[in-house]
Amino acid sequence: MRLARIALALTTLLVLGSACKKKGDGATGADPKPGDKAPIVIGITADASGQYANSGDSDKRGILMAIQEQNAKGGLLGRPIKSVALDTETTPATGSRVAERLVKQEKVAFLVGAMSSGVANAVSQVAQKYGVIYLNTNSSSPSESAENCHRVKFVWDGNGTNFSQAAVKSAIDKFGKRWLLITNDYGWGHDTSNATKKLVTDAGGNIVGEILVPQGTRDFSSVLLKAQQKSPEVIAAAVGGDDVKAMRMQVSQMKLGSKYAWINNQQDWPDVYGLPRTDMFGVFGTTWYQGLDLPGVKDFVARYQKANPDATIKTPGNVFYNGYWATRSLFEAVEKAKTTNSHAVIKELEQLKIPAAVRMQHHDAYMNPKTHQMQQTIYLATANLDSNDPDDLFKILSNTAPDQVIDKDADAKCKLEPFEATPVYEP
Amino acid sequence: MLPHLINGIALGVLFGLLALGFMLIVGVMEVINLAHGSLFALGAYIAMEIVNPGWLAAPNVGYLGLPLPLRYGLALLLAPLLVGVIGMGLERLVRRTYGKKAEYGLLLTFGAALVLEEGIRIVWGKGEQNMPVPDSVNGSFVVGDLVYSKYRFFASFLGIVFMGLTWAFLERTPYGARVKAGAHDSEMVRALGINISRLRLFVFAFGSGLAAVAGIILTPIWGLRPHVGVDAVIPAFLIIVLGGVGSFWGAVIAGLLVGITVGITGGYAAEWSVMSMYILLILVLSFRARGLMGKKSALEA
Repeated sequence: MRLARIALALTTLLVLGSACKKKGDGATGADPKPGDKAPIVIGITADASGQYANSGDSDKRGILMAIQEQNAKGGLLGRPIKSVALDTETTPATGSRVAERLVKQEKVAFLVGAMSSGVANAVSQVAQKYGVIYLNTNSSSPSESAENCHRVKFVWDGNGTNFSQAAVKSAIDKFGKRWLLITNDYGWGHDTSNATKKLVTDAGGNIVGEILVPQGTRDFSSVLLKAQQKSPEVIAAAVGGDDVKAMRMQVSQMKLGSKYAWINNQQDWPDVYGLPRTDMFGVFGTTWYQGLDLPGVKDFVARYQKANPDATIKTPGNVFYNGYWATRSLFEAVEKAKTTNSHAVIKELEQLKIPAAVRMQHHDAYMNPKTHQMQQTIYLATANLDSNDPDDLFKILSNTAPDQVIDKDADAKCKLEPFEATPVYEP
Repeated sequence: MLPHLINGIALGVLFGLLALGFMLIVGVMEVINLAHGSLFALGAYIAMEIVNPGWLAAPNVGYLGLPLPLRYGLALLLAPLLVGVIGMGLERLVRRTYGKKAEYGLLLTFGAALVLEEGIRIVWGKGEQNMPVPDSVNGSFVVGDLVYSKYRFFASFLGIVFMGLTWAFLERTPYGARVKAGAHDSEMVRALGINISRLRLFVFAFGSGLAAVAGIILTPIWGLRPHVGVDAVIPAFLIIVLGGVGSFWGAVIAGLLVGITVGITGGYAAEWSVMSMYILLILVLSFRARGLMGKKSALEA
């Protein structure tokens, strides 16, 4: 009986501890300053559980820091900004439900946040129905700004085609023409591998096979055996979330990282943070890195650390960066439009141009008005084996200007709904 | 085909090990322990701390100066014991649900799983951790044209050792006989004067310890993160249903079957590799509702 009481007490402590911790990064962040005006509510649709939970947390932190900074400047159009975060669970059906609830019950002004392309697509369909502006912060499936584009949706990450454009040509010249694709068996994986396939064949390369890997795969031994049987020179992997962590560990255990040239599409910072450097083989893409030698980067890192003392990830990565910049750019567009009227803000966002120095990238960025995808610098990186600093993980190999990696197919595939067919929304 | 078959068998041993602790607890207590995955994760985290204590700063001095294989061996011994003690605490809570609706035990262990997972997040953080293994079992070896992971075969070897120890305990010791009898007819065991409460406490601890062993062995392959237990509990549950609830050999054979199915499917139609284990379950249960080696129910008698 006594033991049971002690266990119960321990359990209660854990639950309470957990609840206290949740309060710090929980459902409602960035409390507004007191004021008479009604707050503008941002609905955060980041994954807090499932395959992309870790990245979803970084995404949310980026969004919250932008809100905090805007509130510190006096809010938006003189109104304080509040946020409501609901877990989209890395599941499209949950994404739809959450988006409906945020719009109908929470009366949010804008929807912000995405990791999984399936979730982003589901959220954006709801957003389009109501005319609510939705920022897809971090889903990099090419379809998000092509066949699944919407007038209300703006995509802030580089997509699979952008990253492949930056990597494929030089990889064929340097490593060889026999390419094998390892593809996560869902929208983002397929779209990204299809883009790679086209670029490889256009550049004279040869696809020797494609291995589809279901989401949730933890054992890659059969996949890696099959990959060896195909004798490729280059392996291009479009595998994300927890799957890519497991794959990296197993490739590293088999010492296959140096046997083939690995081209890993985009490598999200939360997916590799904490991994040993030996697991970070190959070349991968990113849109931003905290070690870039550019003005403003150190200050941005310091602001991140000040705003996130509880974060396990001690330095901001690409996911946080995208969450932050998407939200900040939205606020700037609202201020320029002088209204939260969705059509007016969409028109401002469609004309968005941000100088490289402001965004802490090597090239100027701009919003493509035809696809609503942010055109920005694409970096290729590899593991930094010269450093033992746990945060200095990447060695940047190249930076490519947005016009050199443009996704030309997206322009043709994206059919934005006309303004007349998009409801006006003004919370 | 042969490389995929060998790989499947190696994988199957690991699946079997994953399900053993789950099988013992369900078999004896008829409680579906949904905290199995969290105990699996907790075992790996505690082992990681024993192998490489984060709070000891100076490397290669004092405890950290001990060879890695020694610290790994120590972790393989101590972490399951500690998790076994936590399992005992959990059993004391689950005890209140005995003889009541099965949902109570299910809900309680589900709640415990959430608390344990959140506890892991509080102590070790949300991020990815690294479970170190000795260099001698890391790396690769080449057979023919193919490269294999040394650790995977070492893990399978450890899996066989722990399965063998569990079998020897159940089949060759008087206490094992009581555990089996408890699984078969707990009322009769009680009538014979055996303290069934103590027996259940012990079995829960033993099952939890086995979950921890599986966690220590499998996380260098799967990776170590707070929710890794979710990846463990689903196949473990599937394997005990497939093998037949409460059957040691059922769990072992089902583990091997699942491993071979996943391994071969992974080699020829990788997109079906995760789904293949569920298809196998449907096929087997369609013809044999009690699983491969499950006890006959009263309806079938």
